[in-house]
Amino acid sequence: MLLDYFKAKGLLDRYGIDSVESRYVKSASDAVKFANGKPIVMKLLSEKQLHKSKAGLVRLGLSDSAEIKDAYDELERKGRSLKPYNIIAQQTAPNGIEAIVGGREDPQFGKLVLIGLGGIYVEAFKDFALRTCPITEYDAAEMISQLKSRDIMTHNGKSAKMLADLLIKVSKLLNDNPSIQELDLNPVIITEKGYEIVDIRVLE
Amino acid sequence: MTDLTPILKPKSVVIIGASRTPGKVGHIILQNYLNEGYDGKIYLVNKNAEEILGIKSYKRVTDIKGGIDLAVIAIPAEGVPMVLEDCGKTKVKSAIVVSGGFAEVGNVDLQNQIVEIAKRYKIAMIGPNCLGVVDPRSRVNTLFLPSYKLSKPQVGGVSFVAQSGAVGSTVLDLIAGEGFGLSKFISYGNAEDLDEVDILEYLMNDPETKVIIMYIEGIKRGKEFIKLARKITKVKPVVVLKAGRTEAGSNAAHSHTAALAGSYEANEAVFQQFGFTIANDLSELLYYAKIFESEGAPKGNRIAIVTNGGGAGVLTTDAIASSRFIKLGEFSASTNSALQKTMPTLVNIRNPLDLAGDADDKRYGDALAALSSDPQIDMIIVIILFQTPGADSRLASEVVGLKENTDKPMIAISIGAEYTEMHKIMMERSGLPVYDSPRAAALALEALFRYYSYRNHKG
Repeated sequence: MLLDYFKAKGLLDRYGIDSVESRYVKSASDAVKFANGKPIVMKLLSEKQLHKSKAGLVRLGLSDSAEIKDAYDELERKGRSLKPYNIIAQQTAPNGIEAIVGGREDPQFGKLVLIGLGGIYVEAFKDFALRTCPITEYDAAEMISQLKSRDIMTHNGKSAKMLADLLIKVSKLLNDNPSIQELDLNPVIITEKGYEIVDIRVLE
Repeated sequence: MTDLTPILKPKSVVIIGASRTPGKVGHIILQNYLNEGYDGKIYLVNKNAEEILGIKSYKRVTDIKGGIDLAVIAIPAEGVPMVLEDCGKTKVKSAIVVSGGFAEVGNVDLQNQIVEIAKRYKIAMIGPNCLGVVDPRSRVNTLFLPSYKLSKPQVGGVSFVAQSGAVGSTVLDLIAGEGFGLSKFISYGNAEDLDEVDILEYLMNDPETKVIIMYIEGIKRGKEFIKLARKITKVKPVVVLKAGRTEAGSNAAHSHTAALAGSYEANEAVFQQFGFTIANDLSELLYYAKIFESEGAPKGNRIAIVTNGGGAGVLTTDAIASSRFIKLGEFSASTNSALQKTMPTLVNIRNPLDLAGDADDKRYGDALAALSSDPQIDMIIVIILFQTPGADSRLASEVVGLKENTDKPMIAISIGAEYTEMHKIMMERSGLPVYDSPRAAALALEALFRYYSYRNHKG
């Protein structure tokens, strides 16, 4: 079962993992208020559709109230066949390389943690590294250096360290919470300053 | 921990289903025991025979007086529960069930029945549906393959664990054609009682085993495997070939993570995490067995190439360049000046060091002596193309001699037909691993470096 977005976000918070500021919106004016003049993103969240971008359930760069209203109406229309659903508004994340960090429960080996090239490239390149939980600092560093995309994903030693820390935190979270079956943080946008987690998906 | 000693070093063995008819499984197994010169006590069970190949045959195991370490069971599946029960009553310590016809063809109940019997009597059981074991030191060979069809490996330090009997015997045959030797071969089939965890644990503590190579289709007890995996690679190298790469991923996945990382990837993750060397095919399994059996830890990842063929040197340089773990080293100043003194002017002093087509034992000797003491070089590849005039048995023995005197890992590449093959075997049996391609050599040194780096990190 898909865990509610904000429950999942709260779980990440408890492990010191920040994610982009978000709110469920019940109307277009709700979303306009949340935007407060800054560009936002709106998405439709439903257990019935994993591939949000492909299914046209993500609208980016919405600034004025007309754009926001148009996006809200469209998502609401598309949501009719995807009930139950929520529409979420999020602050726009900075541009950067998109990574995926995730995990799942394996019937053989228990919890696994993953990092890979994320966003729309996940399935095209299948460039990822996987380990069993819990992982050590050495394991996290090895995972990152194993990726073909390691050089574009890490701008410098600092961002490699930061990603390794994130992996260790996620591994701990997975290990501590036996009910989690699958977890996707995708995309995790990596910038020169840090990273921004834009989407969270936890299945119990 | 299950003790496999009664299986691998039995003092006495009973062959159940021993046969008078040449070509039958129960006949071949007995013949192999006799051919290998097994010096323990051999008992036979066959309800219709008095004597087979001069050895008395009993009607039932329970008729045999005297302790039995190992029962080799080669009778039709439906008869196995009864004889296993007999083995239990007679306090037989271990059993290899060669017979097929169990879970692999859907007879799960029959399989459960024999597992229950083995557990009840504490019989350590390998199989069913397997080839069993070979231990050249104890001259135990339970394979039902005619010995003229399968070359016999030398005695050595490589233990080979195979879930599949057919892959197992093929690789065993290939090992016989290589210069390294076998410690144990264990084909464990359906793995109903003893599985890979038990077998690996035994081999980890086996002083005769220097390196473990395995062919595996599935891991039975994942958590226990991880526990063992943490320990075993700190003790000795383990090379693994896992079948089932194309296994369909999780189609029902609700997340990208589950869609990407299926069960094959999970196995691979465990191997990567705990310092196993992953072989992608049977050839790689042998490349890695050879390097680990012969070579110890390198100090670093810098390689020197010495060659009597320019092209082969370039190809080997390319093979190394395609690895992100190993690289060509730069000769130290003292190596450069030593080489300047000993090499003729047509030799360019640089890495790869091309000694030219007329290089002989003297020139190789001088070059390798200089490189052996170079602090900027960690591993050495010697390419010897035996088609050239100066390359002969003297050169081969010169290189082997220098290899004995260096603590750096050193391997050779020789590519060619009969004349080369003869020298390859000679050099390998003297302790110099020989590869037949630049790619194989680069893979081997990369694996060696990566394994010992892992061990350094994990202590």
